[in-house]
Amino acid sequence: MRVERRNVINADRDAVWKIVSDPDRYPSFMTSLERWESANDQPAGVGARYMAHWKIGSVPVGGLIEVVEFDDLRDLAWVGITGISLRGRIRLRDGGKGQTKVTFRLSYQAPGGIWGYIADRVAVRQVGRTTANTLKRLKVLVEAGG
Amino acid sequence: MGDVKSWVREQVASRVPKADLDQRDPDYIRDQLPRTWLLASLYFRADVAHLDRIPAEGPVLLVGNHSGGNVPPDTFVFTLAFCSYFGVERPFYQLAHNLVVSAPPLGWLRKFGTVAANHENARMALESGAALLVYPGGDYEVFRPSWERHKVDFDGRMGYVKLAREAGVPIVPVASVGGQEAALFLSRGQWLAKLLMTDKLLRLKSVPISLALPWGLNISDLAGHIPLPTKIAIEVQEPIDVDGDDQAVHDKVMGSLQAGVDRLAAKRRFPVIG
Repeated sequence: MRVERRNVINADRDAVWKIVSDPDRYPSFMTSLERWESANDQPAGVGARYMAHWKIGSVPVGGLIEVVEFDDLRDLAWVGITGISLRGRIRLRDGGKGQTKVTFRLSYQAPGGIWGYIADRVAVRQVGRTTANTLKRLKVLVEAGG
Repeated sequence: MGDVKSWVREQVASRVPKADLDQRDPDYIRDQLPRTWLLASLYFRADVAHLDRIPAEGPVLLVGNHSGGNVPPDTFVFTLAFCSYFGVERPFYQLAHNLVVSAPPLGWLRKFGTVAANHENARMALESGAALLVYPGGDYEVFRPSWERHKVDFDGRMGYVKLAREAGVPIVPVASVGGQEAALFLSRGQWLAKLLMTDKLLRLKSVPISLALPWGLNISDLAGHIPLPTKIAIEVQEPIDVDGDDQAVHDKVMGSLQAGVDRLAAKRRFPVIG
């Protein structure tokens, strides 16, 4: 399943990047994030690993993730190492007049064949709400001055 | 009569598989998680809170109150939650009654890490560095009448404290509600167990009587039942160090569990619906 949500934040890319590139800020804007811990000694950037779980349905879903792209002021992407197959990306682009267009994508696939597919379909609405609310909270956080 | 009794006992004992921790299969568990997630999320509308209170690594003894007869929803919901939170890679075992692990249709439970409930298996699991889930109340607690659904009752059993002390691991209480509403449990049927001598032959001290789907009147629950879609709520509690005598630690665990069950029960407005 692939879920994508976008919004426009009334702040420049520097201000948005300052927050999305700082792992300590994730619990303050990522919706339904139930666990967020650094899992290695790498500073924020490619190779940094985190334990990340989102409450989806009855239990926390996620696992160990690793940052695979850390392109200053542009893109931050990660992949899941354990747990469900997962790819995530936060993409920043100029929106004109001091605005930033933010795209949040999550691609995921549960194991288990047909049951995994059904679970993916059932979860997609909640994952969609989670990504949309995350962007809303990010907007509020950035526009309030971070 | 004595010969028959010992023959039956031997037959059952010989069918209880020797605990082999290697039978746990993380890949199998991973493949089953979506199915159990669907059941837990849609059918039981489960809610599991405070998994972060479980030490992130190392052996730990998880002690829960047990509900739901022979089809206990709390066990599989907690197993799903633990495996989702810590990953299927973290070794995690559950103790179950001899009859459960020796029943051929339930062989798949061993792949989930279910082993026969005895002190030796429990010690082996903890010494291997795994997390271990035990229900000291066992068949006594799991078949309590539904009107006692919010009562934690281990029948005075506290062997788990000795187990934790010997293994040098903390105890993490796991409180749950909702499971005893999966059917209408009427009686533990301990008198029936004595009458049928199942207490001596099969280690079954209860032959419970309940009203359950699809049977209607359900005696013994040996064939299981279809649980009602009751809302399951689970609260993991702060770890308790085993630093007093057995009775003191047991009292602390019981107090913590009962307080957790009371908290969860207070949030429940209706039976089954939650």
